[in-house]
Amino acid sequence: MSIRNRLSGLTRTEEGHKRQTIGPVSRETLEGYLWALPYLAAFAVFLLWPLAKGLWMSAHDWNPLLPSESEWIGIQNYVELLNDPFFWGALWNTLYFVVLTVAPMVVLSLVLALGVNRNVKGKTALRTIYFSPYVLTIAVVAIVWLEFLSTDFGPINYYLDMFLGIRPQWLTSELLAMPSLAMTTVWWLLGFNFVILLAARQNVPERLYEAARLDGASTWRQFRDITLPQMRNALLFVVIIQFIYQFQVFGQPYVMTSGGPDQSTRTIVYYLYQSAFNQQSFGYAAAIGYILFAILVIISLVNYYVIGGDNE
Amino acid sequence: MSDARPDDSIAGRASRSFDGLTSNLTLESVGVHAFLYGVALIFLLPYLYMLTLSFQPRSTAIDGIPYWIPPEFTLEHYQYLFENSLIVDWTINTFIIAGGATLLILVVDSMIAYSLSRLSWPGQATILGIIVASFMVPYYLNIVPLFTIIADLGLVNSYWGVVLPAAASPLGVFLLYQFFKDIPDEYEEAARLDGFSTFQIFTRLILPLSRPVLTALALFQFVFNWNAFLWPLVVLQDNAAFTLPIGLVSLLNAQIYRPGRTMAAALIASIPLLLVFLLLQRYLVQAVEMQGVTE
Repeated sequence: MSIRNRLSGLTRTEEGHKRQTIGPVSRETLEGYLWALPYLAAFAVFLLWPLAKGLWMSAHDWNPLLPSESEWIGIQNYVELLNDPFFWGALWNTLYFVVLTVAPMVVLSLVLALGVNRNVKGKTALRTIYFSPYVLTIAVVAIVWLEFLSTDFGPINYYLDMFLGIRPQWLTSELLAMPSLAMTTVWWLLGFNFVILLAARQNVPERLYEAARLDGASTWRQFRDITLPQMRNALLFVVIIQFIYQFQVFGQPYVMTSGGPDQSTRTIVYYLYQSAFNQQSFGYAAAIGYILFAILVIISLVNYYVIGGDNE
Repeated sequence: MSDARPDDSIAGRASRSFDGLTSNLTLESVGVHAFLYGVALIFLLPYLYMLTLSFQPRSTAIDGIPYWIPPEFTLEHYQYLFENSLIVDWTINTFIIAGGATLLILVVDSMIAYSLSRLSWPGQATILGIIVASFMVPYYLNIVPLFTIIADLGLVNSYWGVVLPAAASPLGVFLLYQFFKDIPDEYEEAARLDGFSTFQIFTRLILPLSRPVLTALALFQFVFNWNAFLWPLVVLQDNAAFTLPIGLVSLLNAQIYRPGRTMAAALIASIPLLLVFLLLQRYLVQAVEMQGVTE
């Protein structure tokens, strides 16, 4: 393939590539659109269109079987939602779950990342182990922990019974069900934070610590004045991502507790799912989706300004 | 002054660890190791429990004593699953869905990323802005309207119904855009002088140069789509069409409590991923790190 030999023709192509126009649109523009088209088509049909349709549906008493017969009811779904104790319950449960997962997941992954960053043996093995649950599907994670936390047959209760004489109802008591789901989640997803924080820690210039040591700064001072500020962007990213992600928890309560006991682990996305696919209230479910969206935007902004506010 | 503390050079570290034999540095280091390996052990226990239960007969699985090594070894759960369940179908479905989605994402994402980063046309900035902004749209927000669209297209219970919406994910576009943008212009100019068309520049220059980021993205998307739960749960309604995660949960709902059987199924569902992960974890970790860095 000696393309090189056709040099004279090429210069023309090169020229043409930049200048040639077809009608009012330049060739490069046309080419650009063509290359972008497949993704933009998917993006429009499967992301933007449902986004708009969801808003439209949320203003209807949507009839899943005969959409054209759906009745326009304006903001009635939203009004109903705000007066729906189950919705508030689900929102509260979700917030509780978010608090129970995000804080320990960020702190523990930071501690592990800082630990591994020290001169420890078997760094790669440790990273592999901490990160590995992240590649499992929630179905596997939930099923394994369902057995792990089983009141009568699980190993945790076996040892607790042996040493302390107690058998907590991990998944069947209102007090412990949500913390149990949180524990499962920390095991499952901690590795994501760990990898990001370890990378961020390794990007902190070592000379900053050398200088601090020369000045006789204590380990704590070094952590507070170098490590934390230098890793701030990564920490901010991890916190926001986890807030958004954990707010959408679904698989854990769906598989492990069915939202129980007494709806204490029914989360927003679970309630959305039930409204749509068990009760066929599509308009109502779409409205829940929009409220969820609004909450997530607010959480992200608050997080951004509270933690990252005085950036620059 | 420089004598006050050893520097962090290799010599400095070595001398400190020699001193450490008697000082508290060693104690601290032992503490750190104990903590890190302790957590690692706790992390491994659920795997071990899954493994051991899957090889135990029902009688020992529910006798109230947790065994870390099966006291009675049996393959009956695996045998049952292969002979009497749809687990082979589910595995094939999952491969097709995860593989298809990954391939589709790589093709369309690299094309638009190329268009946005290396070609110039009016409206690029706006399009990029909209795609980046769509990161804010929560994954689950769209399930209800998206389901009605998939139903209108007649794609309920089909591979396409699961795969096509995955192509709209903005993550890959963003990662590839960042990477393509940083490829030096000189390469492209030289290629143009050699008479490469736009298509040739894409396939012979940009894509080969981007192999690491493409591998990382492919692996990340494969894992993500293999594991997807809520969306396949909504779209796939027939037992034979299930993916492994959904099939697994359907086994759980069977009448009799058989932890060994569900654990064996869980293991079958995880093994391909754990193997891929152990072999290629560098790339998967890289994909995660890139998400942290690009933010």
